[in-house]
Amino acid sequence: MNRNILSLLIAGALTASIYAVAQPKDTINDEHAHHDHSNHSIEQHKEQPTDQNQDHSHHNEHQHSSDHAISHEHDHAMDHSQHTTHSPEHSVSGADDHHHHHMDHDHIMDHEGTMIMGQNFDKLPSSCQSISEEVEITVRAGRKYSAKFPGTAFAFDQQQWKVKPCSKITWHFVNEDNIRHQFMMHGLPKYLYKLGMFHLEVTGPKTVSGTMIVPGKDETFLVHCDISHHMEKGMKAQLVVGKGGTDIPSIPGLTPYNLTDTYEAENLPKVGDKVESSKMVRQITQFTSDNLQTYGMMLIGILLGLLCIPFIKGILKLRKKTENNN
Amino acid sequence: MPTYIFIALLAPFIMLSSVTYGASKLPATVKVNPEALTSEPMCDPVIAPSWREAQEIEGVKIEASPVCSPDNPAWIAAAVKGTNNISMDTLMKTGLSPDAIIKTDDIDGDGDPDRITIRLEIMELNGKSPDFPGIVPTFDIAPGIQPGAWVFSPKMSGMSTENFESIRANPLLRLPSPVIRVEVGDIVQIVLENTHYFPHSIHLHGVDHPFAHHEHGGQDGVPQTSEIELMPGDRRVYQFQARQPGTMFYHCHVQTHTHLAMGLAGMIIIEENKPNNWLQTLNIGAGHVRHPSVAVREHYDQEYDLHYHAMDKELGQIIQRHNDPRLIARDMNQRYDITDSTEDYYTLNGLSFPYTLRESLIVVEPDQKIKLRLLNSGGELIAIHTHGHHATITHYDGVEHNPVAQIMRDVFDMAPAQRLDLKLETVNDGKHSYGEGDWLIHDHREKGITTNGMAEGGSMSSIVYKSYLGESNMPKVSHFGIDLNKYFTKEYYERRLPVWQDLDEWSSLGSPGEGSGLEDKTQTSLIYGVIGLLSGLMFYWIFSKRKSITQVMLGTISRINASKGSNQ
Repeated sequence: MNRNILSLLIAGALTASIYAVAQPKDTINDEHAHHDHSNHSIEQHKEQPTDQNQDHSHHNEHQHSSDHAISHEHDHAMDHSQHTTHSPEHSVSGADDHHHHHMDHDHIMDHEGTMIMGQNFDKLPSSCQSISEEVEITVRAGRKYSAKFPGTAFAFDQQQWKVKPCSKITWHFVNEDNIRHQFMMHGLPKYLYKLGMFHLEVTGPKTVSGTMIVPGKDETFLVHCDISHHMEKGMKAQLVVGKGGTDIPSIPGLTPYNLTDTYEAENLPKVGDKVESSKMVRQITQFTSDNLQTYGMMLIGILLGLLCIPFIKGILKLRKKTENNN
Repeated sequence: MPTYIFIALLAPFIMLSSVTYGASKLPATVKVNPEALTSEPMCDPVIAPSWREAQEIEGVKIEASPVCSPDNPAWIAAAVKGTNNISMDTLMKTGLSPDAIIKTDDIDGDGDPDRITIRLEIMELNGKSPDFPGIVPTFDIAPGIQPGAWVFSPKMSGMSTENFESIRANPLLRLPSPVIRVEVGDIVQIVLENTHYFPHSIHLHGVDHPFAHHEHGGQDGVPQTSEIELMPGDRRVYQFQARQPGTMFYHCHVQTHTHLAMGLAGMIIIEENKPNNWLQTLNIGAGHVRHPSVAVREHYDQEYDLHYHAMDKELGQIIQRHNDPRLIARDMNQRYDITDSTEDYYTLNGLSFPYTLRESLIVVEPDQKIKLRLLNSGGELIAIHTHGHHATITHYDGVEHNPVAQIMRDVFDMAPAQRLDLKLETVNDGKHSYGEGDWLIHDHREKGITTNGMAEGGSMSSIVYKSYLGESNMPKVSHFGIDLNKYFTKEYYERRLPVWQDLDEWSSLGSPGEGSGLEDKTQTSLIYGVIGLLSGLMFYWIFSKRKSITQVMLGTISRINASKGSNQ
C-alpha cells in the first residue's frame, strides 16, 4: 500500500519536473514574437502625447531591411513622428534651458538624470565586415512585469532578445514605473564601449533610446538594472547574438538560479477551516486524520487474520490427525 | 624469549613515564603571527587628501575636516547649491542624480532659495544574491562586519556598486540615512522614490508638517492613519513648510519595528530662517557639518551631527538568508519577534569602532564652542558619556530648554527617537574641559562599546584636540605605546585574536594552544591501556608456565596434605 503511494508521489514529482523543464522552453518560444511590438509602439505613443522631442530625422536615416524582425516597425513608420528616439546631436530631452546637459562622446545626461552611455552608431566591431541588419527593439521595465514571475519584484517585459551578429540595434527603453530603472548591457568589446558597457537609464514614466552595434560572433550578453537588488529581484535578461554563448543564470522564467531559496509548507488559514467550524466536526476530523494510519494498519491486520483462518483450520486438522495417528 | 619479555615490559614503562611527564608541563603560548591577519590600513587610502582641506567649490565655502575620511567636498557643494545650480563637472564628482536636490525661488527675498526638493531612494546593503554565495552591495560597519540593512539614500545615477567588477557599495549608498537640513519657512518637498522591493513610507518625527496635503494626500507616513504603504516602483511627495526650528527625526513607518532598525532612519534639522542662509541640505554619512547654517555660525565654531543607531544581527540576516521577497516578508513580518530580540551592533553615523575613528572624530581646538546634535534611533535608552568634558544641554527634541535652567552633564541619557542639542565648550577650567587630549565619547551601557559583544567596538569615538591628531589624521596614541592595528582586522571581531597577546614580550595572556600536554581523558584511557597490557602479559606468562605452576601447586598441596597426615 505504502509502495503504491510512493510510486504515485514519484510519478507526480516527475510530471511536475518535466513541466518545470518545459516551462522555460515555452518562454523561449514566446520570444519569437518579441519583435512584434507594433501594438506596444502604438500604446507607447498614446501614453506620451505631450512628449516634445519629436525627432524623427534619425529614423529617416535608417535603411530598414525587409527582415521580418523590423518589418512591423517599418509598417508603422508614420508613428515615428512621436517617437522618443534621440539622435546623438539631440540629447534625451530638449525641453529645459536652465538645466545642464552633459554631452561627451559616449555619455549623455539630461536634467532629470536620463542617461545614454556607450552609444555607437557607426563603429564596426573588428569581427564585422558590415552591419548585418538594423533592428529596433522596445524594452519595457516595471514592477508589473514581475507579476508573471512569483518571487520577483521588478522585471523587463522580455527576458531574452535574439539578433544576428553585427546587428545595429536601437533600443527604446520604456520605464513604466515612477522610479529609476536601467538597461545595462555588459561584456561588450572594450575598444568600442567604455568598460564594455552600453547603458540606458531613466526615471519613469519616460522613454530613452540608444543605438549600439553588436559584435560578429555568437555570444550572449547580460542585460540588467544595477539599482541595488533590482537584478537580484528579477530585472535581468539576456541578448543572444547569433546562436548565443553560455546562458546567463537566474533570469526569471528562462534560466535556473545558481542559488535557490528553501520553501516549506506554512500553516496558512484555509476556507476549509471555517466550513468545519463546528467543534465536534473539527474534533472528529482531527481525530480521524490523526489516527488514519493506526486504523489503516488495524484494518490490514484484520484482513490478514481473516485470510489466515483457512490455514489455521488446516493446521489444526493436521494436528488432530497426527494425534489420532499416534 | 627473555629479550622479548624485556621489551614488552619496557614499552609500558616508557608510555607511563611519558604520560606523567606530559601532565607536569602546561601547553606553550601560541602567538598569532600578524602576517596571518587580514590587516586593513587604519586610514582608507581611497580618499584624496585634498578633501580634508578648507576649500571653495562653486562659490560654496567648505570648512576643513582633518579626519581620515572626510565628506566628498563635491557632495557638500551640491548639497548647498542644489544639483540644479552646479556645473556638470562638479555634479559628475558627486554621483548624484541631476534632480537629487533642486533649489529654486527666493520667495521671501532674503537671498537664499526657499523651494527645496529632495529626492530619496531606498537601497539595500549586504543582501543575498541568487548568483553567488555572497552579499551585495557590501557595506562594512567594522572590519568584516556586514549586517543586512536598508537606507534612504540621495537619488543617484549609475551603478549601485563602485564599478562592475566590485561588489562594494557606491559611496552614496551607506549607513546612516543622510541628514536633511532645511530652513524654517522653506517649502520642502521630500520625494520618496521607492526603489526597494518592499513597501515603505516617511514619517517626519518632530517636523512641523500637515497631516494631509490637498495635492499629495496623507503626509504622516503611517499606514494605519494617514496613507497606504508606498509600493515598490512608486513615488510619493511629502510636503511641508516648517514653522519651528529644531533637530528632528525621519523614518519609515511601515512595519516600523523592523524597518527602523534596518536603517530607514535619519536626522532632519530645521534651521532658523536667516538671510543668505544657503544650507547643506544633505549631510551624507552625517558627522561634521562643513557648511553650517548662518545661525549656527553666529554662536558656534563647529557643528557635528551624531546619529546613534543599533541593529539586531538576526534581523539583518533575514535578507541574507532569502532572495525571494515573499520569504523575506514572511520572516520579517510574521516570524521575527522583536520582543525576543537583542541588539548586536551599535553604530555612530553608520559605523562602529574602529571605523568611527576614520570619519566620526570630533576634532577640536582649545576655547571653541561646538554644537553637537545627537539622535538615538536605536531601540533602547543610551547613555552617552564625554570623557574629559561636561557639555550643556541646550535643546531637548528640537525645543530649546529654558536658558536659565540649562544644565551641564557628562552622561546624556537618550530615550529611543530622542534628540539632544549639546554645547561643548573646550575651555580648560576643570569643568567644561580638563584640557587637551584624545578623549573618548561613548555609550556608557557597556554593551554599547561592543560589536556583537566583542569589545572594543560599538559606537565609541573620540573628542580629539588637534595636538593629538597623528598620521593620516588618526588619533595620535603610539607615543603611549598603543597600537590600534589589531582592531583593523576582521579576525579580531571573529573572536580569533587573543586581545592581550601583545601586552608583554612573552604573551603571558596569549592563547595556550593545544600543544604538548595531554587531555585528562586521554591520560586516563592511556593508563587503563597500560594496565590492560600488563595484565595480558601476566596471563600469557601464567599460561606459558602452567605446567610448572601446576606442579608447584600439586607439590604444595601434597606437602600440606602430608603435613596434615603427619599431624594425625
